[in-house]
Amino acid sequence: MTAVSRQFASPLARRLAAEKGLDLALVAGSGPHGRIVKADVLAAKPGAKPGAKAVAVIPAGGIEAIPNTTLRKTIARRLTESKQTIPHFYLSVDLDLDQLLDLREKLNQRAEGFKLSVNDFIIKASAKALRAIPAANASWTDEATLRYSDVDISVAVAAPGGLVTPIIRRADTKTLAQISLEMKALAEKARAGKLMPEDYQGGGFTISNLGMYGIKSFSAIINPPQACILAVGVGEKRPVVRDGTLAIATLCTVTLSVDHRAVDGVVGAELMAAFKKAIEDPLGLLL
Amino acid sequence: MSEQAFDLVIIGAGPGGYVAAIRAAQLGLKTAVVEKAHLGGICLNWGCIPTKALLRSAEVYRLMQHADSFGLASPNPGFDLGKIVARSRAVAAQLQAGVKYLLKKNKVTVIEGHGRLAGKGRVAVENGPTLSAAHILIATGARAKLVPGLEPDGDLVWTYKEAMTPKAFPKSLLVVGSGAIGIEFASFYSGLGCKVTVVEMLDRILPVEDEEISAMARKSFERQGMTILTSASVKGLRKEAGQVCVTVEAGGKSSEITAERVLVAVGVSPNIENLGLEGTGIKIERGHIVTDAMMRTGEPGVYAIGDVTAPPWLAHKASHEGVICVEAIAGLSPHALHPRSIPGCTYASPQVASVGLTEKQAKEQGFDVKVGRFSAIGNGKAIALGEEEGLVKTVFDAKTGELLGAHMIGAEVTEMIQGYCIARTLEGTEAELMQTVFPHPTLSEMMHESALDAWGRAIHF
Repeated sequence: MTAVSRQFASPLARRLAAEKGLDLALVAGSGPHGRIVKADVLAAKPGAKPGAKAVAVIPAGGIEAIPNTTLRKTIARRLTESKQTIPHFYLSVDLDLDQLLDLREKLNQRAEGFKLSVNDFIIKASAKALRAIPAANASWTDEATLRYSDVDISVAVAAPGGLVTPIIRRADTKTLAQISLEMKALAEKARAGKLMPEDYQGGGFTISNLGMYGIKSFSAIINPPQACILAVGVGEKRPVVRDGTLAIATLCTVTLSVDHRAVDGVVGAELMAAFKKAIEDPLGLLL
Repeated sequence: MSEQAFDLVIIGAGPGGYVAAIRAAQLGLKTAVVEKAHLGGICLNWGCIPTKALLRSAEVYRLMQHADSFGLASPNPGFDLGKIVARSRAVAAQLQAGVKYLLKKNKVTVIEGHGRLAGKGRVAVENGPTLSAAHILIATGARAKLVPGLEPDGDLVWTYKEAMTPKAFPKSLLVVGSGAIGIEFASFYSGLGCKVTVVEMLDRILPVEDEEISAMARKSFERQGMTILTSASVKGLRKEAGQVCVTVEAGGKSSEITAERVLVAVGVSPNIENLGLEGTGIKIERGHIVTDAMMRTGEPGVYAIGDVTAPPWLAHKASHEGVICVEAIAGLSPHALHPRSIPGCTYASPQVASVGLTEKQAKEQGFDVKVGRFSAIGNGKAIALGEEEGLVKTVFDAKTGELLGAHMIGAEVTEMIQGYCIARTLEGTEAELMQTVFPHPTLSEMMHESALDAWGRAIHF
């Protein structure tokens, strides 16, 4: 267990920390492999309570320590930062997928060399909605709210070792077929661990889809520095009330997580309305 | 002209540019490097490397002259200047071919010609293609600084380039400037029997070094027969047939010195001209390009490294900055280069090497210091080698034990300074230096003893 609990710090950092009365366990290391260096100790606040140290409780049955990879650490750091510093709010709507599924089937009968997925439609519809509501295609910084001219959609893909988000760039200008082929290639690269920095760096909006696992709805953590992430649930037959009578429709619940600093509630709601319209009137996605 | 697209275009293939190119290629960036003269830049072709070849000849010559003290016979040692220079050029040529191979192996596109910025994300190569790239790195280096009245003429008044390829061996040489370049040439020519005079404007030679080291170097050079004039400046020169009369003013008095050749080595001027910098956000300060710690200039997507940026003007600083710059571009989080961790070396006889703050600088910056010293006369290996002249001086922060600076003079100190550089990078204190086992017998034991001495614990003194 020593490998897990040992604190790596430079000799100088240790001495400076001792002088400042600082517990190194409370200092985040910025050196190689997370080693604590002089600059980290100088930047840390003195007098932090040693009692606040997180101690792992080891059950009697034993425990396996899986060393954190760089990717795992990056995910942990970014998500913690996101959830702790971004004021999230959430907007959910139900989408009626019947027309879209019908259109998808017809298109796939004619498609050669590719097969459109529901997710391809969701990417395209998100891009169309962001083009219509550009205020949502933004990032918050302390100095300014950055608004992106291109609609670049990050799509969460489970890869060995963690989540990655390759990007469909300028998705609003691409056809469903292009998006489908590109997404297939990116997902394969991601699963093979072969994504290049240009495949995943940037992006203005993220889609996370857990529908294939039967998840009804969920709220995703914003992928900084973006302002919005769309969580997509399963498409399933549900009873609906239409014209005063009970009917059956294929519905899907989506939830948008929004950074309130960059995007207000009304803008978020307008984006969701535009998105819902794009999904429920899918012929518009072929234009 | 056709346009070629890259992720990164580097202007200049010196030790900054070519190293950055290889690191970029390792990180998967599609990279091109534009070079107008030689791969490897000044360092490899007209600087660091060929001068080391020359100085090696001078060193062997010096040993031959002292052969008797080693019990060897080397009657009437002599030298062939043409062969010394030819060897130096062959060394440069071999390494230049090596850089070419490395760039090819890493699939870096090499484009010959003068590159300049040509609008956002574009580099135009004179009589060549236009290149587009999201990231452009300026690594154009520097050239010998010119002094009005001392313009080099390629014949009597030299820059380093002529000094490196002399056609005939001068009987006397006047060197203006006592930085590393001036002192290395002074040492080379003096070592082969030329009467050398060094003129330095400041009050000591090797002015960036610790004062104690400067003083020791001066004594040693004077003992070897060099004339050294400090707080002195050249007021003018008159060219005559095969020699130059130089007016030197020192201590309010003017005197005339005649030498067959004059070498001007007063520093370098960054190459910022004809690069298309005008109208961009790139800021120039005292002749060099201003960058942040990740080597970004004021113009988004344009970076600069090495001699074209702020001093110190050293090849290894350029290379390191190139790596930092490219890693930041690729989304890694490199640590900024700490100015106190860049070593400097002068390959004269004796050699001089240092890293970090001098004793004086450390005191001026308010550090409570502990200073260690150890002389070569107390080191067994130095005596066995017949190299008893030398000093290792260390400057520690008394409070934290941080190694603030290390200053060395003597045999092979340029090879040893890295030990202290590693100690600095690892943020070691005096305790780790004391606890390290240094092999016996080596010159490096002086480094151990110097750290011990700072706390009054030196063993062999």
